[in-house]
This record gives sequence, C-alpha cells and structure tokens, in this order.
Amino acid sequence: MEHSSHLVVTEGELGNIARILGRLSQTTSASHVLLLDKGGQLISTQGQGGQRDIVALGALLAGAFGSSRQVAAILGERDFRNIYQQGVHESIYTSLVGDLWLLVIVFDRQTHVGLVKVLARRAVEELEHSLERVRSGGTSAKEQ
Amino acid sequence: MALINTASREIQCKIVYYGIGFSGKTTNLQYIHQHAPKDAHGKLLSVATESERTLFFDFLPLDLGIVHGYQVRFHLYTVPGQVLYERTRVAVLNGADGIVLVVDSAPEKLEENFQCLVELEANVRQSDRDLGTFPFVIQWNKRDLLNAVPVATLERYLNRRRVLGVEASALTGAGVFATLRATCKAVMAQL
Repeated sequence: MEHSSHLVVTEGELGNIARILGRLSQTTSASHVLLLDKGGQLISTQGQGGQRDIVALGALLAGAFGSSRQVAAILGERDFRNIYQQGVHESIYTSLVGDLWLLVIVFDRQTHVGLVKVLARRAVEELEHSLERVRSGGTSAKEQ
Repeated sequence: MALINTASREIQCKIVYYGIGFSGKTTNLQYIHQHAPKDAHGKLLSVATESERTLFFDFLPLDLGIVHGYQVRFHLYTVPGQVLYERTRVAVLNGADGIVLVVDSAPEKLEENFQCLVELEANVRQSDRDLGTFPFVIQWNKRDLLNAVPVATLERYLNRRRVLGVEASALTGAGVFATLRATCKAVMAQL
C-alpha cells in the first residue's frame, strides 16, 4: 500500500495525460494505451482497439505487476520497471511511471517491440512530470 | 489509493477482503455480484485454481451511485487465504483504501484467524500505516455454525482496536451488504 490516501487528477492534467497517451497510441499503432494506478484503477485510456473489458484488464495487469514486485523483492531488486507479455497476435508492454502509475501498451505483431520500448520510455518521462504535478497539487490527504 | 478524477467527476476506491482460507471472502463477492442491481456492477473476475481456490484474487467493480456530484466506484478484491500465498496478499493489498477482515467463527480456526490478523497488521505497518486509523471492518462470518465461537470471545482476541464488527453468514447473505456498507462508509469518511 502507498503512503498518501488519495490523488486528485484535475481536468487539465487529465487532458495532458490523454495527449501523451494519444500520441503514443498513434506512433505505436497500439490498440490500447492505458494509464493505471498500481492498485489497478484506470486513470486514462486511448486507442482504437475494439470493445474490451478495460476495467478487468487494468485490475489483472496491476495484479501481475504487483506480483512481479514481490518477485523482485525476493531477488533483492527494488522493482521490475518493465514487463513484456508476448502473444501470438497481440502483446503487452507495461512500464512503471514514477512509483505509483503503470503505463500499458497493447499492440499487435505489425509493431516491433523495440519501437514500443523506446517510445514508452519517452512517454514515461513525460508522464512522470504529470505525476509530480498531480502529487504536489492534488494530493490533499497524506498520512491518516 | 483513492483516485479522484475531477474531469469525469469520478471517485475510484479499492477495498480488499482479507482472511484465512475458506473464511468466505470469495463467497462475499459472489453474493454481492448475484444480489446487487445488474447495472451497478461489472463482471466478477476470479483468478483461481482448477479446484476454484483463489490463486491470485477475485475482482468485482461496483458502482455506488452519485455522492456529492461524483460517481463513486468501488473495486472489490479478495486475497488468496492459504498461508503459502503471503506475498500474493501483499501484492493485492497494494493501493487498498479499505480492508475487510473476514473471520471464520469456527472454534478450530481461532488461532489461524489470529495469525492472519498479525500478518495483516505487519503488512499494513510496512507501508507506515496503522490498522487503527485505516478504514478497517471485521466481519464475523459463519455465524450460522452451531458451534460458532461467541462474538464476545472473538472480539476479545481479534478486535483489540474496537473497530466495527459485523456478524454475517456469507453463504446465506446475512451481513454481507452490511459489511460492504460499513466499509464503504469508512473509506468515504477518509476522503
């Protein structure tokens, strides 16, 4: 569990996040790009993919990331910052943003994973600035 | 960590049902899934073994309606109860806004319930928080058992913090929604 009790994402910041995700979705031709918090809650989503249960997808991916964090602890690592899940038709690349959010890119075999990794890294840097602004401006309650 | 989205006017919170194996955590979520209005909940998702024991978690998204102009959504999770899966429980607890400890009222489970509470306290403490100030509700489940331990005894051993305890029988549904309501209320009070 995290230290602060809640995060407030403002309309302006959400617009900024949507722009970053939208650009990433276009440049990687991703079917879905999601920004989640590590608890599995969906902050924003972009992409032209078909109807999917995004809420369930978010919960499962955050769960898988939480699980990998425990694996990292056993190995003496602080975190695994990226996870790549490769499928026959579609794959998923997940990156940690700061220490609170997860960037998820769902892409098909037309897109090379190397490109996704490079573009994800750039997007993560931009999103980290957003996260910092949300933390400094929107977090209204810390320790209870 | 609760997420407040001022653009879409949504609040999302996470509640975790914690407890020993077979204490009734999944049964709570199944009852809520079956009896909450259809338009208020999503699909119940279970990451379970082939014998239907929870392997990772159960997950149920639930809409609570509009509070102060905000759509309030709760994501309900369970943890796997077996001792083996402690690290998995830590992973599921990540980002929780409220916790329900589901206690099995069978006398032979008292010690196991106590160990589970000690583990939960340690896991919460690791994130510099305290169960005494955290939105936390205890559900005394399986009250329909003929040899159920009296609630006063359970309170003495498992509820030193005197948090709200709700008597329940998740199998019949008694106390399930009362537990959920109490937990949601405790979470909302902290926002």
